[in-house]
Amino acid sequence: MSSDDILILKRALVREKTARKQAEKILEDKSRELFLLTHELKGANEKLQDLIGKKELELQGVFDNLVDAYVLIDVYGNILEMNNAAKILFGYDITEEKINVMSLVYKEDYQYAMTSFQQLVSEGSFTDYQARVYTKNNGVRTVHINASLIKDKKNNSIRAQGIIRDITEELEQKQIFEEQKKQLSAIVENSSLGIALTQQDKILQCNKAFQDLLGYTQEELLSKEIKDVSLAIHNGSPAEFLQKMEKGEIDTFSMNQKYIRQDQSAFWAKTNVAAVRNPNGSIKYQVTLVEDITEQLEFEKQREKFVKDLEKTNNELKDYAHIVSHDLKSPLRNINALVNWIKEDYGDVLNTKGLNHFSMIETTLEKMETLINDILSYSSAGDKDNLNTKKIDLNSLVNDIKNIVLIPKTTSVNVLKKLPVIKGDVTRIQQLFQNLIGNAVIYMDKENGKVEIDYQDKNTHHLFIIRDNGIGIKEEYHNKIFKMFQSVGDNENSTGVGLAIVKKVVELYDGEIWLESTLGIGSTFYFTLKK
Amino acid sequence: MSLNFLLIDDDEIERLKFARVLQKNNYPHSIVEAKNGEEALEILAQKEQPDLIFLDLNMPKMNGLEFLRELKSNADLRYIPVIILSTSNNHQDLKEAYKIGAAGYIVKPLKYEDYMHKIKCLIEYWSVNELLQV
Repeated sequence: MSSDDILILKRALVREKTARKQAEKILEDKSRELFLLTHELKGANEKLQDLIGKKELELQGVFDNLVDAYVLIDVYGNILEMNNAAKILFGYDITEEKINVMSLVYKEDYQYAMTSFQQLVSEGSFTDYQARVYTKNNGVRTVHINASLIKDKKNNSIRAQGIIRDITEELEQKQIFEEQKKQLSAIVENSSLGIALTQQDKILQCNKAFQDLLGYTQEELLSKEIKDVSLAIHNGSPAEFLQKMEKGEIDTFSMNQKYIRQDQSAFWAKTNVAAVRNPNGSIKYQVTLVEDITEQLEFEKQREKFVKDLEKTNNELKDYAHIVSHDLKSPLRNINALVNWIKEDYGDVLNTKGLNHFSMIETTLEKMETLINDILSYSSAGDKDNLNTKKIDLNSLVNDIKNIVLIPKTTSVNVLKKLPVIKGDVTRIQQLFQNLIGNAVIYMDKENGKVEIDYQDKNTHHLFIIRDNGIGIKEEYHNKIFKMFQSVGDNENSTGVGLAIVKKVVELYDGEIWLESTLGIGSTFYFTLKK
Repeated sequence: MSLNFLLIDDDEIERLKFARVLQKNNYPHSIVEAKNGEEALEILAQKEQPDLIFLDLNMPKMNGLEFLRELKSNADLRYIPVIILSTSNNHQDLKEAYKIGAAGYIVKPLKYEDYMHKIKCLIEYWSVNELLQV
């Protein structure tokens, strides 16, 4: 080999060496680039995984904390996931038992559920499904459901999810509210009171009674104001009241107001107005209640007149009894005088029989006079205007009576307890005690007659007891004896007025009188007088 | 002493009763009768004044109390004593009569004997009284 050849070869080798070195460097660079790229990718991937995890957690949190129930099912209806609210609503835990949604559908709502499910499949979602479901522990509940399908990349349905809200209570509340509303409108509509909602005097709404009262239709009234149908003001000005109401000083007011009907006739009505306020206190509207009191006023007027008439009649009656009694007595006196004169002047020409008849006339006259006197004292016994009220010591009053009433030796009249000093009209109180003690003495059939007077203090009243062992009174007469002219005994001198007077006096002093009696054994009269 | 009475009563028998008491007891007193207040006033205007007037309360036209009021407002007649003869023992009537100026008040009893007794007492009482002659 020539030296030239060797030189050529040497140069070629150097060239080759250089080229390889260059190639190796490129390869090295490319490899480094690839490594860096791979590393970056790995990082990005990890970040992405993190993010997904985070989002999944977030979503889980949202589901769990969702107030509404969330349920995820597969295409066969098997429940895959339930959030807390769903667990509480249905009462099931899918980690413990498998549940298919169709088993939860209320029997009667099954058809509706199927239809909705088909809608979900065909359209991908449904909203406002409202039906009843069974729950484990809480019975049947009414729920509201919005649902949608979840599909995979190939557009196959793989899951369905639903948001479920328990609206049972809401519905119940609504129903109660509706019922109450109905009740209220039934009351308002059927009320005999006229009821209107007004706003600044303007009529917004009114019931039938209100329309009937005024003789307008609802439509006619809605274009009117209260002042168009009302007149003068009886007591207090409504404007004044309304102002106060506006200011919040009062919430209600009541007044009598005159209203004008469509036919221009007028009537008086009691009007109650109540404010219904907005939360800020301003008046939303007023509820006006109108009650026709024309009749009531008429009635009151009539009653007043009756009372006046009655008073007048009473007074007349009092005077009448008084006058008549005295006018009746005059002829009696005259007859008595004439009989007396005949006896005096012609006594010697009359035989015993004739004289006897004249005596009988005189007895009759006396009886007649007693009767008239009794009527007179009865008519004045209850007269409240003519009382001469004083302190009366009943002990001395009863003692006086014991002297006035003719008491046979065989009868004893005893006061068992010290009697009180009371306030009253002496004449009346004496009539009261004298009649009762007198009766006890007169109607005494026993050899050893006993009349006892007893007393008890009854706080507001005095209770007096007059007990005898006389003839007694049949129970059927216990009421009758207190009536005028009802003498049930066989005493000829009785006019039947005594106990009527007694009752009247007792009633005059807000008391009561009653008796216990056994025929043949005796009677006990009880009476009270207000202190 | 003989007295002159004026008896005012619308009832004839009442007047007879009074006259009979005078007659039966042989009283020397004389009596003039009037049927009512108006008639009595006429008599008083014409005749000599009586010593005593007996007056019924319940009369038609001018009643007893009206007459009494009239009499008491007359300066010439006001001193004549007036005894009321009434059927009423009503407290109001009694009070009113004395308020106006009655000198006495008698409730007419049912029995003629009782009446006679009361009138006799009255007449005897007034017979011993000194009476004012105007």
